[in-house]
Amino acid sequence: MKYMLLIYDNADTRELFFGPEGKALSEEIDALMAELTASGELAGGEALADPAQTRSIRPHDGAPVVTDGPLAEAKEHFAGYLIVDCESAGRATEIALRWPNARFAAMEVRPVMSPGGPDT
Amino acid sequence: MTTSGTPDIEGLLRQLAPQVLGALARRHGQFEACEDATQEALLAAAQQWPEQGVPDHPRGWLIAVATRRLIDEIRADRSRHAREDAAVGAGERYEPAPGEPQPPQHDDTLTLLFLCCHPALTPASQIALTLRAVGGLTTAEIAGAFLVPEATMAQRISRAKQTIKAGGMQFELPLPDQRAERLRAVRHVLYLIFNEGYTTTAGPDLQRVELAAQAIGLTRVLHRLLPADGETTGLLALMLLTHARRRARTGPGGALIPLADQDRSLWEGQEIEQGLRLVENALTTAAIGPFQLQAAIAAVHCEAPSAKQTDWPQILALYTLLERIAPNPVFALNRVVAVAMTNGPQAGLAALAAIENDKRLAGHHRVDVVRAHMLELAGDRTGSAAAYRAAARLTTSLPERRYLEGRAAGMRLGPA
Repeated sequence: MKYMLLIYDNADTRELFFGPEGKALSEEIDALMAELTASGELAGGEALADPAQTRSIRPHDGAPVVTDGPLAEAKEHFAGYLIVDCESAGRATEIALRWPNARFAAMEVRPVMSPGGPDT
Repeated sequence: MTTSGTPDIEGLLRQLAPQVLGALARRHGQFEACEDATQEALLAAAQQWPEQGVPDHPRGWLIAVATRRLIDEIRADRSRHAREDAAVGAGERYEPAPGEPQPPQHDDTLTLLFLCCHPALTPASQIALTLRAVGGLTTAEIAGAFLVPEATMAQRISRAKQTIKAGGMQFELPLPDQRAERLRAVRHVLYLIFNEGYTTTAGPDLQRVELAAQAIGLTRVLHRLLPADGETTGLLALMLLTHARRRARTGPGGALIPLADQDRSLWEGQEIEQGLRLVENALTTAAIGPFQLQAAIAAVHCEAPSAKQTDWPQILALYTLLERIAPNPVFALNRVVAVAMTNGPQAGLAALAAIENDKRLAGHHRVDVVRAHMLELAGDRTGSAAAYRAAARLTTSLPERRYLEGRAAGMRLGPA
């Protein structure tokens, strides 16, 4: 079963990586990624550029309109994701709890939809 | 030499894969190295045979090439470590030239299945290793079938082999007192592969290996090796009777079609016949078990000329028995449907009330699917719509979500 681990940042969390804690945090992420790779659970993931680089598209009178910047100024922004293919939601949550960002900002764990249907 | 099309060669290689690996592992031990060597020999054959033709003794050819790869690997390893290894001597005894008569027929497939489905491995590893070592699939094919990157699948396989090596697990049949339990584990892995086929496949995709068909092939092999094992027969029958309905299960655009609405002329008659024969044979000759009962239930559905003419009292009796010998909340939920179809929706709703608080069913969308269905039968359109909506929110299958949303909308729009 695949789960997406949504990683959020806030204005301060990125700064952490420049500070004295930065090296240890990066190593922690590298170690966890290596562990998930070795266990055969890591099925994908990307980090996103700063929200300042966002272009938003919203419908306006039934037509899509582009504006610069994110949809809404928020305390926390979507910063990247991991896809893990693992045994259970419990295991996916356990991985999210160990992701260092979880100590400083929000994380979400959501099941990925499967393209096949059950036999009913 | 014979020439044949690539699909035939692929099929032949998959069939020979476990025999080659079995022969190597039995002779040399070192399952991990043997598995790598076998994959290399299969790749060499896949490249050479389509152009040069299939050798007269394909199995001997593969064993010879794989053995040479294994010895090269052991030698390289030995020079790396600059030490003598007693195991190498054993490896050097056998190095036949390609085309040499086949070594004595000896089927190690069962031993191989037991090792690949060893309880020390995680289910994901058991599945991947079984498909590669016994099914003869490449890592890329398995990754494609499971919709994960090839690197992810390669890692699962290598981890499984490391676990086998580190645990000192031997290439030998389990002890007699462990045989039944280990066999149960093998059947379970085959069943998981079969189910994965249904949850990852939306319509035909010719480029992708079909997991349900792979599972049936592997279960056929197990059944051939253990024809008197009733549960293996039951499992094969269950797979055939379920797989027989595949073309009727999905409509245009991958839309889900439930059993009651399926065009039964699309069911595969030959597979149904085979499944019926197997289940009847198992039920009359072997000790009863959960796979046999599930197959018997599938058989009742397959034998009904129409959904209306389904023998629900018999299905209810079978589910009651199944729940008694293999207590399981999902079986209990299916039994509720049979209660409703036999004794009416109110009796079904009462039966559902009795089990819906089972913790193991918490968050399970099937509870709401069953409730929605019974409320619909009872004529409670508002309640049914709400239950269909709740189920749609909980499912993780795209076609099922669309189907349930459609039912919810239908309930709200009023009688069709």
